[in-house]
Amino acid sequence: MLARLWRSTFGIVVLVALAFSAATLAIGTIAYEVTHEALEEQLDHRVAVETRALVAEAREGGLAAVSEAIRLRENARNEASLDYLLIDRAGRTIAATIIPLAAPTPGYQEHFGFRRGDATGVGQALVTPLRGGMLVVVADRRDLAAIDRTLASLFATALAAMLALGIGAAVLVGWLTRRRLSRIDATAQAIIAGDLTQRVPRDGSDSEFDRLAATLNRMLDRIAALMDNLRQVSTDVAHDLRTPLTRLCNQLDRAADGDPGAIEAARRQADDLLEIFAALLRIAEVEGLAERRALGSIDLSALLEDMAETYRPDFEASGHLLSTDIPANLHVEGDRRLLAQALSNLLENVLRHTPPGTTATLAATATQDAIEMTLEDNGPGVPPADARRLFQRFARAEASRTTNGHGLGLALVRAISFGHGGDAHLSRSERAFGVTIRLPK
Amino acid sequence: MRILIVEDDADTRAFVAQGLGQAGHQVAVSEDGRDGLFQATGGGFDAIVVDRMLPGLDGLALVKALRAAGNVTPVLMLTAVGGIADRVEGLEGGADDYLVKPFAFSELVARLNALSRRPAPRGDDTHLLRVGDIILDLHRRTVERDSRRVTLQPREFALLAELMRNPRRVMTRTMLLERVWDFDFDPKTNIVETHLSRLRSKLNAGFDADAIETVRGAGYMIRGE
Repeated sequence: MLARLWRSTFGIVVLVALAFSAATLAIGTIAYEVTHEALEEQLDHRVAVETRALVAEAREGGLAAVSEAIRLRENARNEASLDYLLIDRAGRTIAATIIPLAAPTPGYQEHFGFRRGDATGVGQALVTPLRGGMLVVVADRRDLAAIDRTLASLFATALAAMLALGIGAAVLVGWLTRRRLSRIDATAQAIIAGDLTQRVPRDGSDSEFDRLAATLNRMLDRIAALMDNLRQVSTDVAHDLRTPLTRLCNQLDRAADGDPGAIEAARRQADDLLEIFAALLRIAEVEGLAERRALGSIDLSALLEDMAETYRPDFEASGHLLSTDIPANLHVEGDRRLLAQALSNLLENVLRHTPPGTTATLAATATQDAIEMTLEDNGPGVPPADARRLFQRFARAEASRTTNGHGLGLALVRAISFGHGGDAHLSRSERAFGVTIRLPK
Repeated sequence: MRILIVEDDADTRAFVAQGLGQAGHQVAVSEDGRDGLFQATGGGFDAIVVDRMLPGLDGLALVKALRAAGNVTPVLMLTAVGGIADRVEGLEGGADDYLVKPFAFSELVARLNALSRRPAPRGDDTHLLRVGDIILDLHRRTVERDSRRVTLQPREFALLAELMRNPRRVMTRTMLLERVWDFDFDPKTNIVETHLSRLRSKLNAGFDADAIETVRGAGYMIRGE
């Protein structure tokens, strides 16, 4: 029961209120006891001091002197004055300011009942035997009782207030929490019902609820983006595979009619399709896996030099030029093969889409928190209208529709960059067109 | 060679079995993992071709069970999913090589040949590779053909070294991409062909005999005769 109570906000606040109440009760009880004891001691002390003074009188002047002292004190009586009773050995009263309700016995008496005028009272008394009689000095407990009552009612009020506040706070906090959570709940319900555009409302307070709402919204954005991506891919695949598959069918028809070249063409077409699938799977794999894979430290300078050396012969053979500007000792956390593939895609794009005589530069620079690898060329570039969608799957500049390729190369470059916590973007200067891969250090 | 093929797809199984049979190998086939494991542990095979996805017992579990039983027959794993993680999992599970479907038959044969005659682990002192009249020094990174010094680029050197480590064996394009470039993807540009033709022209300068043989539709081989 208690364990369950802890789990709701209401329960937590109630438990805290109960704990505070218990503490108040304990403090109240202790304070009451201590005050009570101190006041009683004070009364005892006054009675003792007065008794000592009267005993001294008795030693000098006998009972008559005591009687006289009592009379003088009674004449000068005020609110705080003590009461006295002096009796002889037979119990007859010699001098008195009160009438005892019971016969006094020697020693301290905590609750000494007496009558004074019409009223009765209870006092703290010290009864002292004197030669020929007995002296009783009484301090009225009236004030003590009044203070006791005041203290008790004070703490009772505090306790009641504490409980009331605690339960009030519990109800209020519980209600507020439920109200905040119900907004999240409503959003979740709407999303379950199919409206993926719903987001948890925020109040900008940066409270824990607000931050939770922000986190949930970011999560929803991410999921929505992935869903969109998936939908886009399905559409793209359906659309972009239809053309080569239709062509394959035609070639097989021609082969069936006895065209000898058609089989070879169909074969190439099938290879092409497999290549598209390989690229799509690779992108999906990189997007799905990359972030969870353990990355090692890579000598990026060496990798870039390797890639340049690997492709330079093909560049030269096709009349292109490849220059490098690679500083030594660039290191980055990453997957060497994936980065090699990204660079390979960029280099092959230059080979495939730029005319002979084009010069490309593979360069790297280290900034404070990232390393940027750029492959630029002074070829014709890509019209701005096409540039925006260049990193999407199956995206190809209109001009390159006729050349080889599936428009998956840059999508993979981007997926690999994202997988490394970086990004890829077009870099455009006056005379050069290029792609930059940015990797965090 | 006696080769066991464990493959559930009837078309692939028949295609591979027929091809290997025609190439002069003795072939046994199995349709599912359990039977495959049973046959494999029976022993007597020089190589085993296992599909990754199998009914009963999947290819990975089969290889693990085989290795756990102390059987070290070389295993070539076939898979339709060529993911990096997949490949690593397969190789760590005990497979010796990995081939992604669809594959060219010549690729399968070349890899099986390479597997069945894996060179014994070499001591580090053998830094000299010698095939025919070519001597390659891995430490000094020099190459001589018939005592004539040939100057190579680093990639060309690595390419020649890989071919010379596997004399008289066909090295396919993908094998060379994996081992020389550490590429696990297939670039569209013919980088292997380009580098190989440069290497070849440097090696052959002043000689009549071609140092590197091109095996049509399969790959390259250094024969050393």
